[in-house]
Amino acid sequence: MSKPEPAADDGPMYIAREKIHPREVKGPFQTLRHLAVIVLLGIFYGLPWLQWDGRQAVLFDLPARQFHVFGLTLWPQDFVYLALLLVIAALSLFFFTALAGRLWCGYACPQTVWTEAFIWMERWTEGKRQQRIKLDKAPWSRQKILRRGSKHLLWIVFALFTGFTFVGYFTPITELAGRLTTLSLGPWETFWVLFYGVATWGNAGFLREQVCIYMCPYARFQSAMFDNNTLIISYDEERGEPRGGRPRGIDPRERGLGDCIDCNLCVQACPTGIDIRKGLQYECIACAACIDACNGVMDKMNYPRGLIRYSTENAMNGKPEKVLRPRVMIYGLALLVLTTGVVYSLTQRVPLAVEVLSDRNVVYREVDWYTIENVYTVRVLNKDRVAHDYRLEAEGLEGIEVVTREDTLRVGPGETDSVVARVQVPRDAVEGAGNPFRLIMESTTDPDIRTVNTARFHGPSPGDN
Amino acid sequence: MSKARLLRSLGGTLWPSFLTAAVASVVFFANIDPETLHMQTLPHWEFSRMAGYTIGFFMFWGVGLASSVMTFVLTERSPQESP
Ligand code: SF4
Ligand code: SF4
Repeated sequence: MSKPEPAADDGPMYIAREKIHPREVKGPFQTLRHLAVIVLLGIFYGLPWLQWDGRQAVLFDLPARQFHVFGLTLWPQDFVYLALLLVIAALSLFFFTALAGRLWCGYACPQTVWTEAFIWMERWTEGKRQQRIKLDKAPWSRQKILRRGSKHLLWIVFALFTGFTFVGYFTPITELAGRLTTLSLGPWETFWVLFYGVATWGNAGFLREQVCIYMCPYARFQSAMFDNNTLIISYDEERGEPRGGRPRGIDPRERGLGDCIDCNLCVQACPTGIDIRKGLQYECIACAACIDACNGVMDKMNYPRGLIRYSTENAMNGKPEKVLRPRVMIYGLALLVLTTGVVYSLTQRVPLAVEVLSDRNVVYREVDWYTIENVYTVRVLNKDRVAHDYRLEAEGLEGIEVVTREDTLRVGPGETDSVVARVQVPRDAVEGAGNPFRLIMESTTDPDIRTVNTARFHGPSPGDN
Repeated sequence: MSKARLLRSLGGTLWPSFLTAAVASVVFFANIDPETLHMQTLPHWEFSRMAGYTIGFFMFWGVGLASSVMTFVLTERSPQESP
């Protein structure tokens, strides 16, 4: 066994699937997971309420087509940043997967996080694992209806609140809340609240581990990022086998037994319902619940901990381990370069976009015997949060001059406007078509807000005179 | 169709098309304002940008779904294997 493979014959697995009720375990890894759930959910539900400069700190304002991320305002023209951000996210995933396996799955994936939250609610209403299994089998009674009902009520309220929060990232959440209390949500808002709510409810309440096993693309290709030095959850077969029950306090070696007492707690704790003792399987989301479960048992038996532990393929086979492999270094380096690049370019970003379109109908015009004129339409998008007056200048050709109707162009925040620019050049400074020159747009108040566009000036060909 | 196949068909069609539709909508609407499309096609109708995004997203999803379903049907069992 080297890499986790999908089960070869997965046909019967679907049919045999019984609802998995993972046993609650306690231990350092589970504490860490709970912490991750609380922190991540806290961020998700809290962030839209945060204010910054008098408006929502993080708002992807789709109706107005602008993104606010704290002090930064991004426009559709800044799409490249979004794309780069996604590339960075993917690279970090590669990096951490190569280093420590499916950390993402066990601790940060929304699927795991919301499933965990839904399991908590299930625990509050339906009790511990044994009680839940019993309740599943029990006939319908007042008790069962009550418990089931309150579970679903909790789930639905939580799911709807999740949907509401989700929409709150796209329309100002305080206004949304206001409209909710007066029951006057718009049709599209209502639709997305319900859509996201139902998706959460279905994924975290019902599909759960099946999303990881059957639907998640990451689960399928993560093995490509694994190597023999990647941290995985593994069962120490050499130490554990042959497994078997035994009374406490005897020396297992005397009876020819390994350290595994075959209590099955690791299997019961597993949210994907697998037996880690069969080796690393592709269903394993590396949640480390089995580690905590097993360590608890080892403590009770007075055996050393770590029969199931985070380890690497190499360590398990007694080979030397290496953390800094070429693969890790390449992912890490690419990540570093890209992140610094994006941060740098964000600090250098000019909140102004200018587009120069040449007049296609007339190639050039002779103003008088000495002067040739080309006409351009210059479109200006003010990406800043205040209005600016812009002045247009031209350079790059001998004696070039630009004439606009007004001296400056005033554009409000987030607005576009255009100006007709008549560029005039002395006849003897240009020859033929396509002489490059530069058009410079600059804010009159802030010389840092300045763009340079290259355009082409068309003059008469030498033979035309 | 067995429950197994049904589940697999859901996971294998709805989901990938959803993911691609999400990406496609982001790329598409980052470059094209639904308001412009609206003015060029049905200017007399009332349409908010939100409506534009939503319709666009579901259009992408629908197209992706059609393709996924087709792939699913075609690859599920090749003619030689069928009993
Ligand atoms: S095998 Fe262990 S680590 Fe993997 S999913 Fe199951 S409990 Fe979590
Ligand atoms: S919890 Fe430990 S001792 Fe119990 S079955 Fe699992 S591996 Fe064996």
